Amino acid sequence: MKRILACLLVLAMVFSLAACDKKDSNDNKTTDAPAASTTTDAPAASTTNDGEYVSSILQNAVELTLWDIAVEGDGNRPAYDAAMADLKAKYPNVKIVETVTENEAYKTKIKAAVGANELPDIFFTWAGAFLGDFVDAGKVHCLDDVLKKYVDNGELPEAMLGNSTYGGKHYGVPTTMNVVGLFANMDILASVGYDHIPATKEELVDCCDKLVAKGITPFVCAGKETWCVTEYLEPIMEKTIGATELNDIFRNGKTWNNEGIKTSVATLQEYIDKGYFDPNGIALSNDEAKAKFMQGQCAFYQNGTWNCGDFSNPENVKFNVSVGEFPVMDSSKSKAGQLIGGPSDTIAVSEGPNAAAAAEYAVEFGRLICHYGYLKGSGLPAWTPWGDLSEVSPLMKTVTEICNKANGYVLFGDNAMSAEIANIYLEYVALVYGKEIDGEGFVNGLVKEIG
Amino acid sequence: MKRKSKSHSLAIFLFLLPALILFVGLLIAPIIMSLYYSFFDWNGLKALNPSEDFLGFGNYTILFGERIQFGKALLNSLILAALSVFVQLPVSLALALALGKKIKGERVFLSIYFMPVLISTVVIGQLWLKIYNPEYGILNTFLRAIGVLEGDIRWLGEKNLALGAVFAPTLWQYVGYHMLLLYAGVKSVSPELREAAKLDGATDGQVNRFVVIPSIKPIIKVSVIFAVTGSLKSFDLIYVLTNGGPMKATEVPSIIMIRELFLKNKYGVGSAIAVLLILLCFFFAILIGAIFKERDIYGKK
Repeated sequence: MKRILACLLVLAMVFSLAACDKKDSNDNKTTDAPAASTTTDAPAASTTNDGEYVSSILQNAVELTLWDIAVEGDGNRPAYDAAMADLKAKYPNVKIVETVTENEAYKTKIKAAVGANELPDIFFTWAGAFLGDFVDAGKVHCLDDVLKKYVDNGELPEAMLGNSTYGGKHYGVPTTMNVVGLFANMDILASVGYDHIPATKEELVDCCDKLVAKGITPFVCAGKETWCVTEYLEPIMEKTIGATELNDIFRNGKTWNNEGIKTSVATLQEYIDKGYFDPNGIALSNDEAKAKFMQGQCAFYQNGTWNCGDFSNPENVKFNVSVGEFPVMDSSKSKAGQLIGGPSDTIAVSEGPNAAAAAEYAVEFGRLICHYGYLKGSGLPAWTPWGDLSEVSPLMKTVTEICNKANGYVLFGDNAMSAEIANIYLEYVALVYGKEIDGEGFVNGLVKEIG
Repeated sequence: MKRKSKSHSLAIFLFLLPALILFVGLLIAPIIMSLYYSFFDWNGLKALNPSEDFLGFGNYTILFGERIQFGKALLNSLILAALSVFVQLPVSLALALALGKKIKGERVFLSIYFMPVLISTVVIGQLWLKIYNPEYGILNTFLRAIGVLEGDIRWLGEKNLALGAVFAPTLWQYVGYHMLLLYAGVKSVSPELREAAKLDGATDGQVNRFVVIPSIKPIIKVSVIFAVTGSLKSFDLIYVLTNGGPMKATEVPSIIMIRELFLKNKYGVGSAIAVLLILLCFFFAILIGAIFKERDIYGKK
């Protein structure tokens, strides 16, 4: 008996070691295309087949590694799956080894990979300063040659490439575009006499006061993930000082010493004091905060429009949900139609032996993620929409209408600023939400540290 | 004879060589690299330019400035280390002594106490997040049930509660680990010694105090070193539970290190923290060794 047990233990150990050696971990998903791992040096010529672009370089057997954040349950996962399935059918000789990582952990992982020169062939990234640091380091492949045909034929508006353009060269494929949306539980709003999302500051305050009086929490905000707090603070700042001014502060080095910024912080903290925010939110993650909204425990949830897919699914949300933009706080400086967001979700390609094939794949992949993402409600299209759009959810259609009327965009603060400055900014935002500092302290601190 | 001795030494060297290469390559070299990088203002992405990026001890000075508050994080780690030594280890020792007396169901208890060590820290973190949940968590529910609490306590959301709330599971998780180390020591104490003490009229407590504990002093020393250095390096559970928040209340050096290295791209500062952690771990290991070495079991220096 002991011998049998010993043999079993040895076998288990051998299997464990073998598993450790295996390249694909549990997080890795491999397409079923024929395995091949040779690198091809074939020229990136292309052919056209019935009007559809077909890359000749991707006809060869090649294995490409892909890293992204579309974990199971992420709003983008269905779009990624659909895009990969299409490309698998189109390019059966291309083998994709996908590694999926949760959002916050991914930020650490991708930077470590850049530092160690171990980037995958294709990777998800955020445009703006985040990708800019990698481009500066010379680790990202320029996509000008591959993107040109799509820009020239109007499929990809050049304006959408602005956030991933550095030194006049394009380094990223925009997938979806997202803005911050004010999601509302219309059944709860109806209970306090509102059949629409509050459109003015006065309406918002009135609605929230009525909700608080009824014992309903108006907002839930995940304090454990500071980017979620910026989803509240940045729209307040934009609707107080205007999109141009905020853009200048975020991207053009204009000073934080601005009375409107102090007022914005005071507004957020006033709303916290008045009980508009779930007090337990400070220790919640975004998933937990979102779940509270989806369970009907609060009236509003302000976050990216990538949530449209989840909120459009009747299995997830059992109430009427609508989306709008945050009301104007100071009409002398801002106006409706000024939004936080823009094309930030991006696919990029690393410099390396597979760069040519990876670039071809990445551009088609990004285009398809955009297409399916729009259909499945994970974001607005950064590319010109095509095909049957009848599947697009009413929530996403509302967001499209909001964006069609938009007159100014400010990219998410932590994407717009360089990594170091963005993290200093986030630390101060956390202090604001925890009421450790007021508007004066926020501005003074940022002026001292950033300028 | 000399030739034989030489070939013997060569054989020893050759057999030790693989381990030596691994030790130098995986431990010594990264420490030296970290020390080197800690003198530069480097973002870890671009190639390092030694002449332009050199900062001297600048990164070490930054650490103790207003911005990073490394001192506060270090203090948190030292509090955890103190709690480990003065709360966790006595509990572990008590359990080891109790189980070492051949009580009924010894193996079952041993497995139960050791179980938290086997469970993934992320799972433990999720478990305690549920326990601490202000609305449905078992802790608040219990306090409400016995009439002590009305409303919610935000265990992980209040600055003055979060540190204790984070340390509780950290201490709980490793009680079993230290217990197992000490239990092995207790079991190795010669039964003759115990019997002799009993024949002299010693009670169970006296046997433990004067026979068992002095006999397992080397193991207690190892446990103390593990507890203190483990506290200085603590990261995973705190990362899952609070990520250093709220308002930096639960920050420890490793949390700051990860943020500086990978979120702010400040490899120099991150490396400086790594170097300080290594030095502190060595310092405490030597200090603890010296304290335990001071007197042997007969009370002589």
